[in-house]
Amino acid sequence: MSDRTNILNRWRWLGLAAAGLLLAVGSAAADPPPGMALIAAGTYTPVVRDQDDAASVAVAAFWLDARPVTNGEFLAFVRVLPRWRRSQVPPLFADGQYLTHWAGDLDPGPQAPLDAPVVRVSWFAARAYAAWAGKRLPTTAEWERAAGAGFHGADGKAEPGFAAQVLGWFAAPTPAVFPAAGSGRPNFYGVRDLLDLVWEWVDDFNSAMVTGDSRGAGGNGLFCGGAAASARDPADYAAFMRAGYRSSLRANYAVANLGFRCARDAAAN
Amino acid sequence: MNMLRLLPWLTASLLATGASGRAADCGCAAARSAPAAVSDRSVYQLDAAWTTDGGRPFKLGELRGRPVVLAMFFTSCGYACPRIVEAMKEIRQSLPPVARDRARFVLVSFDDERDTVAALQAYREVHELDAQSWILVRGEPGQVRELAAVLGVSYKKNALGQFSHSNLITILNGEGEIVHQRAGLGGGLAEAARALIASAH
Repeated sequence: MSDRTNILNRWRWLGLAAAGLLLAVGSAAADPPPGMALIAAGTYTPVVRDQDDAASVAVAAFWLDARPVTNGEFLAFVRVLPRWRRSQVPPLFADGQYLTHWAGDLDPGPQAPLDAPVVRVSWFAARAYAAWAGKRLPTTAEWERAAGAGFHGADGKAEPGFAAQVLGWFAAPTPAVFPAAGSGRPNFYGVRDLLDLVWEWVDDFNSAMVTGDSRGAGGNGLFCGGAAASARDPADYAAFMRAGYRSSLRANYAVANLGFRCARDAAAN
Repeated sequence: MNMLRLLPWLTASLLATGASGRAADCGCAAARSAPAAVSDRSVYQLDAAWTTDGGRPFKLGELRGRPVVLAMFFTSCGYACPRIVEAMKEIRQSLPPVARDRARFVLVSFDDERDTVAALQAYREVHELDAQSWILVRGEPGQVRELAAVLGVSYKKNALGQFSHSNLITILNGEGEIVHQRAGLGGGLAEAARALIASAH
């Protein structure tokens, strides 16, 4: 019984702490966090879904970094937390490609300009950075909702040429040195570079295209075949590409064109 | 309460308390390190606290020194999870007595909403999972996502509150390093048992 009482007490303290945190966040929410844009509450329609998946998912309002995290910002992070420096990060959390384009542990160097998006960072490192910054990674639903916006409205697909422009980026080779983050055209929410600079980690990257192998005998479809058959709208080809890309990742991968940006809950007012 | 059953846990908690003073200034579990000697490939670098079906706090690092058979599941899963548990039982039965006694069989729930301590307790009873060998735990969504990421498990909750998930049984050596994974629902159990026995030496 005493075990249980202890745990109850612990939860009570956690509850108090959480309430305090909510109050703090609530008072801060009046001002937009610097460098972040508010994505209004809405819905996200997954391009790939099983028969038991909801047709659309409600997404609460949230803050999203207006541009990807830069080399300069990541440098500040690894200065404070040596564990995430290239020479010290454990292989469980980042593979051998981690920050290999940096000149040194604390020297991004010519291949990684300070204002360019940081790439070759693992999911663990991105998540640790976000926590350090008092933020978190966006979920797939949040990221896709932000990226679904066009330049004039919340529905990019309604804008002529939008899909073609997005697909154009897939065809472009990865540059040896990335241009500055934040130089892209802002979308309807004021967010830049979502669709034309680097791929970006999301918190639940490992939820993409899970074959329905857990709940019924009919769910053992082959990976590609099964997924393609359940894609909803050919116009969502870019989103389908992103789902496929995410499903190919492992959390310790560091990839030459994969960076991230952070999100934060928008407290209810 | 059977104090003998609590002893290993108490010892491990005392050891863990000694190390937990070194919490990093970053809120994520991945950035906190387990006791210094843990291998840099060890899953036990994850420092998140789980809750067992006995309602006790539990860290995976407490299993250090033992071979471990680990899978992620949820109790209301009607198809794949029972087969995963059966497969783990088969692995256990195929082990020589010494390895069978030393090994621990860990089930980690995806379902932070429905898989309460009571739900895990009920699952243990229904599936007749003995108190010494089997450890059933639940956790918060962030730590579930993190463990899944380390193991390479994909999962997604659907509109019915059920989970689609990879079917993966992971064998950890005494250091908590992944030495073998059995994917899918058919076959591969002898290989998993062999990997466990090899890692125990």
